[in-house]
Amino acid sequence: MRTLLLIAADSVRSLLHRRLPAALMTAMLGLTLVFSVMLSGAQEWMLERVERAAEAQPADSEQEQRERMRVLETAESTFLAMFYWFAGFGGTIIALAVCSTAAAADIRSGTISMILAKPVSRTQFLLGKYCGAVAVLCGYSALAGIALAVFTRVNGLDPVPAAQYAPWLIFCQALMAGSVALFLSLLMHPLVAGAAAYFASAGFLSPPNPLYFILPSYDRFNVFFQIAMGQLIALEDVAALTLYAFDTAAIFLLLALWRFRSRELS
Amino acid sequence: MSVIRTENLGKTYKGGAAALTGLDLEIHAGEAFGFLGPNGAGKSTTIQLLLNLIRPSAGAAFLFDRPVTRAQSRRNVGYLPETVSLHDYYSGQGVLEFYAGLLGLEPRDRPRRAAEMLERVGLANAGGQKVSQYSKGMLQRLGLAQALLNDPDLLILDEPTSNLDPVARRDARGILLEFKARGKTIFLCSHILSEVETVCDRVAIVQQGRLNKTGTLAELSRAEGCRIAVRNLPPQAMEALASSAARVTLAGAEAVIECGDDAARREVEQALRGCGAEIERIEPRTQSLEDIFFSAIQREGPP
Repeated sequence: MRTLLLIAADSVRSLLHRRLPAALMTAMLGLTLVFSVMLSGAQEWMLERVERAAEAQPADSEQEQRERMRVLETAESTFLAMFYWFAGFGGTIIALAVCSTAAAADIRSGTISMILAKPVSRTQFLLGKYCGAVAVLCGYSALAGIALAVFTRVNGLDPVPAAQYAPWLIFCQALMAGSVALFLSLLMHPLVAGAAAYFASAGFLSPPNPLYFILPSYDRFNVFFQIAMGQLIALEDVAALTLYAFDTAAIFLLLALWRFRSRELS
Repeated sequence: MSVIRTENLGKTYKGGAAALTGLDLEIHAGEAFGFLGPNGAGKSTTIQLLLNLIRPSAGAAFLFDRPVTRAQSRRNVGYLPETVSLHDYYSGQGVLEFYAGLLGLEPRDRPRRAAEMLERVGLANAGGQKVSQYSKGMLQRLGLAQALLNDPDLLILDEPTSNLDPVARRDARGILLEFKARGKTIFLCSHILSEVETVCDRVAIVQQGRLNKTGTLAELSRAEGCRIAVRNLPPQAMEALASSAARVTLAGAEAVIECGDDAARREVEQALRGCGAEIERIEPRTQSLEDIFFSAIQREGPP
């Protein structure tokens, strides 16, 4: 266990020092911030337009007033949903970059031979690397969640029911994509593995294609419409999505372990 | 107990290239074993098989009588590869502490042990420096430090001094000799034959993936034939020796007669006695490790 934690800690350190994942993470969080500021400006502009319209042409009836309010609320939720989508997309890209290089970087640089010459099993090594990558994804999801909460509060938006699970769903989606990328990185170049893992989603296919039933679906985690429409996501649905993500991640992690155990590391 | 044992160990890479065939080795505790061979002979493949970095196509390998597939077989092993690749985002001290952790050292002992090792390899002043700023020679020394971190019972070294300057090379050799003097086992792959000759008791020479020759340096250096030294060689003896297979070299009053085998030696001794010449000494002929190496790989050595 201690070995595993040491490798996980080293993995976090290595990922944060590697240019691509670190740059992606910074860029994604930076872009999310820029996006928030832009949305906030757009929201103010829209509120102003609605208020002017209301002043110029007062609502004839209570029903019309309610309709105007609904349009305004939907617009607010759409901003939140877009924010969520952006953070989720960023999470997936970061997961692909982090997980496809987690073990592959050590294999390619040769540092793995120094580590495995110590009393460290291949399973400990790969699990440690995976745990480190998952810790980085946790960190990103937490930051995205905090940013979402701050964004909602700063802009005076009403908390949308579906948004409360957003950070967790971002994490689940990233975990799943990352596990696929980790497995593929043991078969091909990490960059190709990252791209392949992104497109290895049932979301890009339709039901007659047999791959639709085999490949994981990242689309299930896309709750953009629920947030935009201000709908509630049932806790059961979140639990089912969590189970789906963890099952898929476990399957691909086992595949990665199986592949790694037989892989030549010369 | 054998420290390293291989049984019919073989490795064939994809594409059918046989890198190693039927290697049987047994190295005991306290031995310093030199593993020699030209490039591509299978030395690095053997090390990678011993460390379970690659899988054998045939046979099996054991460290401390445990199959190398078990991580615990490497508990008392220190390894220094030819090209040292260490995590360059750590400092020298940091990377040693990380490896000390992997070796099971307690967190409180790691900084002290790392500092001791840095001192031992002459990097005490560079411990705080990032590994990415280390020169090749410094990296090699840091690699040696990580190999010695847990005071292992077996050191596996692949060209340990290839990137070192002469002073650092001498220091590294000193560390290895001290390690050997403490009864530890060394498995040394090196192209520097003088280094192997200085450090090792026993050597194996591999060529094209097969074990060509193995034995102690004394056994291998013993050659057939001898040198007979005679003072004031009489002229009639010179005439008698001219018809023999021996080669005579005159150096002042001393003549040295080289005999290629026992038959030539008997012939020379008989001729000398017949002329009344007095034999001063008879020296068995020996070969240097370089001679042994070149004869094993069947190439002419340097003149």
